[in-house]
Amino acid sequence: MVNGYTAATLEEALNIRAEHEVVPYAGGTDLMVENRPGVTYLFLNKISELKRISVDEKYVRIGSGATFTQALEDNRVPQLMKDAVALIAAPAIRNAGTFGGNLGNGSAKADSVLIEFVADAKLRLVSLRGERIVDVDRFYLGRKKLDLRDDELIAEILLPKTGLEQYDYQKVGGRNALAISRVSFAGVFSTQDGKITNIATAFGAVADTVLRFKDLEDTLLGKTPEEAKALKAQYLKSYADRMVLTRGRVSAEYRKTVCMNLLSEFLTRFGI
Amino acid sequence: MDAIRFVLNGQEVSYEGSASDRLLDVLRNTYRTTSVKCGCKEGECGACSVLMDGVLVNSCCVAMGAVEHSSIVTMEGFRDTERYAVLDRAFAEISAVQCGFCIPGMVLAAEALLVKTPHPSDEEIREGLSGNLCRCTGYNAIVHAVSSAAKEGEGLW
Repeated sequence: MVNGYTAATLEEALNIRAEHEVVPYAGGTDLMVENRPGVTYLFLNKISELKRISVDEKYVRIGSGATFTQALEDNRVPQLMKDAVALIAAPAIRNAGTFGGNLGNGSAKADSVLIEFVADAKLRLVSLRGERIVDVDRFYLGRKKLDLRDDELIAEILLPKTGLEQYDYQKVGGRNALAISRVSFAGVFSTQDGKITNIATAFGAVADTVLRFKDLEDTLLGKTPEEAKALKAQYLKSYADRMVLTRGRVSAEYRKTVCMNLLSEFLTRFGI
Repeated sequence: MDAIRFVLNGQEVSYEGSASDRLLDVLRNTYRTTSVKCGCKEGECGACSVLMDGVLVNSCCVAMGAVEHSSIVTMEGFRDTERYAVLDRAFAEISAVQCGFCIPGMVLAAEALLVKTPHPSDEEIREGLSGNLCRCTGYNAIVHAVSSAAKEGEGLW
């Protein structure tokens, strides 16, 4: 193949990745928009072991080469992820676009990545040297900066199987289909014996990376929704102070207002 | 360096250009399958839709290296089928075509939809065609045409 490498197995791909300067190509839907001149791709789209979706005791494991369409048709994928993925672009893009590509593109607008942030997902990164498991929020070092070494590939997304049942997902875009998120929001919530055991909220498309403030979330843990409600005004103010948003297709002020509205509505929905 | 081998409309072909070339450009310029239209090169308009291993994709967002060992169907291949004949008749009878630029993509998107969902609701049709933009018709006629084709072609999908 002129100016590209193709691999049939992950091992083959890792060998090529270690030896050559290549851009991993999964679905192509982001890469081909840019299509950098002179780029050498490593084509991963025919590697069946990267396309698998499986389940173990703790996680739904989504192969980096699994497409969004594949996830939508798989009853093991949590509904929260499906809600987000169903609104990505349109069928032809969802047929090609992959979970690994969404991560690898490094954008804070990546709709599946927002869910991975709020779900505390982990990523399995592999190279000839072995593998490492990293938390998704640590994988993002900054705008388009990833903790992915030159010889590594993203193999799987490890999405917790439980704890995502009570959620809210909102995507604000310019139109229904083919919309790039202007603001996206996901939140999950759990209680046990009337006390909050998990509250996680994340904002996409508003800064260099997906935003999530775990220390603020922690202030509501162990409280009843009523107790949390008494702290709501202060909680929202803390978020407003922390959120430094970038301007994109819409102004930073607009984004911030929308983010705060979405956060407030999420809290209200769960009795806070 | 080996050429990229794939099947185009049922015929084996091999492409000797760069693996990073766009499928869209290669289909139009090398193989002259010009039913595949270039609208945006961003995956936004669906005019370049083709079936890759039976799945609808935007050919502008596919690099040639990804096509190796795949089967690509464009309108030039699809138009010999009975299912095309049904779609063709429905689009013509309902006047679902004006300038025609989006239609090859629309028809392949309709085919992909009907293969998965042979009896689609209007909402499912709109979802199935949501990646295909049309500047002329306002979409209603196209949705009616696909709905009508699904009924007229009962059993074909």
